[in-house]
Amino acid sequence: MDVSDILAERAEKQKSIAVEREIPLETDTGLLTVTDLNPIDLESYNEDLEAFLQSNARDGVQALLNALFALPSTPSPDGPVAKLPPPITQLPRAKPLPKPKPLTKWEKFAKEKGISHRKREKAVWDEEKQEWVNRWGWKGKNKELEEQWLAEVPANADTDHDPSKIARKERKTRVAKNERQMAQNVARAQGESATSGPSTREQRKNEINRTLATSRVSTASMGRFDKVLEGEKKSKGLKRKFEPAEAPVEQEKAANLALIQRMEKEPRQKKAKKDTVDGVLNVRKAIRATSGGRGSVALGKSLKGGRTKGKSRR
Amino acid sequence: MRPLTEEESRTVFEKLANYIGRNLIKLIDRPDGPYCFRLHKDRVFYVSESSMRLGISVARSNLVSLGTCFGKFSKSGKFKLHITALDHLAQYAKYKVWIKPNGEMPFLYGNHVLKAHLGRITEDTPEHQGVVVYSMNDTPLGFGVTARSTVDTRKLDPTSIIVFHQA
Repeated sequence: MDVSDILAERAEKQKSIAVEREIPLETDTGLLTVTDLNPIDLESYNEDLEAFLQSNARDGVQALLNALFALPSTPSPDGPVAKLPPPITQLPRAKPLPKPKPLTKWEKFAKEKGISHRKREKAVWDEEKQEWVNRWGWKGKNKELEEQWLAEVPANADTDHDPSKIARKERKTRVAKNERQMAQNVARAQGESATSGPSTREQRKNEINRTLATSRVSTASMGRFDKVLEGEKKSKGLKRKFEPAEAPVEQEKAANLALIQRMEKEPRQKKAKKDTVDGVLNVRKAIRATSGGRGSVALGKSLKGGRTKGKSRR
Repeated sequence: MRPLTEEESRTVFEKLANYIGRNLIKLIDRPDGPYCFRLHKDRVFYVSESSMRLGISVARSNLVSLGTCFGKFSKSGKFKLHITALDHLAQYAKYKVWIKPNGEMPFLYGNHVLKAHLGRITEDTPEHQGVVVYSMNDTPLGFGVTARSTVDTRKLDPTSIIVFHQA
């Protein structure tokens, strides 16, 4: 029996699992990615685009599956499980690199001098106690002087000389000094990082100046008769700004004409408003009409009828 | 010497428009060369650009006057016209009042214009309108503000005031 026909038929249906390319495909199993670096075969691309893409994709997936099945697997109730290796492809960072921490004064100095950092252990060996004790903190070595049960007193010491108290004070000043230096380092770092815009110190200064200027004119005489302190500067007010006198006149002319146009548009209601009462009666016109143009005084006289001049004057 | 601010220009123009109305544009937009308003020591000067440029080189304390003085700003910010502005106002005046020869001297001495002295008046002048006062031979004498409209003047007695003297 000749089975070569059947075999050929099957071979045609099922393509080979080996993917052959001029440049071998790059597979990154960790990210389940395959990259094909080969140039596109233009002929088959133009002939049938869909088929070409499909075959290309199939090759890629085949290569990936080959790589996956090559991984060591462990049996499990759900079937064999393989652990993916860590990805090879380098992906770009999502966030920018962190800025380097600003150096402290000591670090800067050490860098200049080439002093390398030496790790200082927290615990030190105590010869007397024959055990490890903390350098500082609980039962710290730095408190040794103030906690010893017997202290040497110099011969010329005062009666109230207390060695443990002095030692404690010294230790506290050392701590305070370190804290101060730390704060200075922080302030320096802040000053360096805030290169753009006024520093907080400058802002604070402006704020204080503004408050001072306000408070100086906030008296009954608006600061006019206040006593001037020694060294107090004269406060500067806002400088008035005017257009330059020597600017071209054309510009000014255009502005003036625009202004006139605006003025013409404005309704002339100012005068009318003054005279009318509840928008209906124009008092002044009414008086003029009834008095025959002689005014309100004359109208009053004529209405009272025959009142003498002398009386009305009183 | 400096240009007027917008606020100042507005007060000046309002006052001028009271006398010459829309002719104000002719003062600003002149065909014979650029003219401008300048403020110097609270006084407003109407000056051609060329003489304004000459005036720039004079120190502020030494500069007495330039161009035509139109008026001054009072301390409270009102604008008051001066008689020196008469030439320009008379040229473009919308409403005019002519007074008889016997009324000229009283007006020039600062009195108001009475009805007895009134020679002629522009038709349909409203009241409280800025007017230029002329003598009967068309010489501008000054300007004022009408106390009554033209129609009302007819009914008045000869001693009543027609125009309030301004300058």
